[in-house]
Amino acid sequence: MSFLALRGVGYTFPGWPAVVQGVDWTVGEGEFHCLVGRSGCGKTTLLKLAAGLLHPDQGRITFQDAELTAPGPGLGFVFQSPTLLEWCRVIDNVLLPVSLQRRPDPRAADRAQWLLGQLGLAAHARHYPRQLSGGQQSRVALARALILEPALLLLDEPFAALDAITREELQDDLLHMSRERGTTVLFVTHDIAEAVYLADRVAVMDGGRIVEQVGIDLPRPRSAATRTSEAFVRRCAQVRAAMHMDLVAA
Amino acid sequence: MNDDSLRLRLGSLLLLAVLLLAWEAASRFLGLSALVLPAPSVVLRSLWNGLASGYFWPHIRSTAAELGLGLAAGCVVGFAAGVAMAESRLLRGLLMPYVVVSQVIPKLALMPLFIVWFGFGMTSTVVITALICFFPLMENTLTALRQVPPERLELFRMLGASRAQTLWRLKLPSGLPGILAGLRVAVVLALVGAVVGEFIGASKGLGALVIASQGTMDTPLMFAVLVLIAVLGMLVYQATLALERWLLLPYTRIS
Repeated sequence: MSFLALRGVGYTFPGWPAVVQGVDWTVGEGEFHCLVGRSGCGKTTLLKLAAGLLHPDQGRITFQDAELTAPGPGLGFVFQSPTLLEWCRVIDNVLLPVSLQRRPDPRAADRAQWLLGQLGLAAHARHYPRQLSGGQQSRVALARALILEPALLLLDEPFAALDAITREELQDDLLHMSRERGTTVLFVTHDIAEAVYLADRVAVMDGGRIVEQVGIDLPRPRSAATRTSEAFVRRCAQVRAAMHMDLVAA
Repeated sequence: MNDDSLRLRLGSLLLLAVLLLAWEAASRFLGLSALVLPAPSVVLRSLWNGLASGYFWPHIRSTAAELGLGLAAGCVVGFAAGVAMAESRLLRGLLMPYVVVSQVIPKLALMPLFIVWFGFGMTSTVVITALICFFPLMENTLTALRQVPPERLELFRMLGASRAQTLWRLKLPSGLPGILAGLRVAVVLALVGAVVGEFIGASKGLGALVIASQGTMDTPLMFAVLVLIAVLGMLVYQATLALERWLLLPYTRIS
């Protein structure tokens, strides 16, 4: 069962050393995978390859058993910054993916409103993005990525700029929304605790390669108790070791 | 408006009153000739006479029409050219050298040529005004459309947006503040274009009236016309500011 499969994938920006090389990675349907690594290790590039925004120089990428050639409605993407259109109301931002395909019908509008409600933003639908806090803007970006009910959700450090409390709330929101629909998720982060808390499987990237995979068998649903459990701490230590962070700490 | 800015406004009004009074006093007691520096009261009388007798109105209409037509034509063409050059690398490469060359030629130096081409009168002035407005609009549109944050472009690619959708729904709205800043510059320059164009190429309009008052050595009339030009400029500029504020409301609202 390979929902999303990368085989021998390599990518090079012209005139630079390879950013991504020899990556083999499969994500099963409904799984939640995290990709961790230091800045500049090629994780964002790998995510853009998986999104079809970039095309690999080597290897191939298949999505739902077909070659991935271009981004499509089956994919949702959340960027590092919320990238909302500040001249559009929140509800119109959420409906953007729909309105680029067709005129949004009342059903789509209802779904947008429901998503906003799930994320605690029901009262802000008629506001403009500038009127929201950073965490609220990130939630709107998440709702926008979910409006077309994508089978695969790709996130590129979406919560990196938020404070710790908001970040944990958003992690729970993301888990709740994606587990409920069985959405497959590929999540890029540099935060080890975030990766372990969210994922079924964590891939550690270094120098454009996946150097280690750690299966996370913590029980679901995960909650605040998970974060303090011994198993959680052990998994974090495992990922730290894979990133050679114990050397830095010593 | 808060207390501070209200006080500042009152202050600048007060300053105006003081300056006018000093000017009035100076021209009365220093015995300056009205030919050199007429007192504000004399200028005011001349202004009132011109307005009340209806003498100014055709000239105001003429200048306002030239300003409006030239501004509209120059902005539409400049905007369209900016969009075309931002969207097409070919056009940009092909036309950019010409744009730069025509930028450095003082446009008003072309007025005599336009009189030869379009005749003495309104058309020449409208053309020169349009030409002057063209550049700020084109430049700002071109720059604004090419400065869309790359993440947003990726978002639109990700969502499968067509080129036209990316232009209309992303690039133009996100470039709107820059384009409107260009419009603001164009409005100020347009008045210069219209008035100075009339100096050379028209017998009607406020610019022509300035030249005529110079010919008859009627300095109070000249000052009165300058006041009219200033008022016209202020009105158009404030209208542009109001338009800008209204269009950018969603961009600036923070609470």
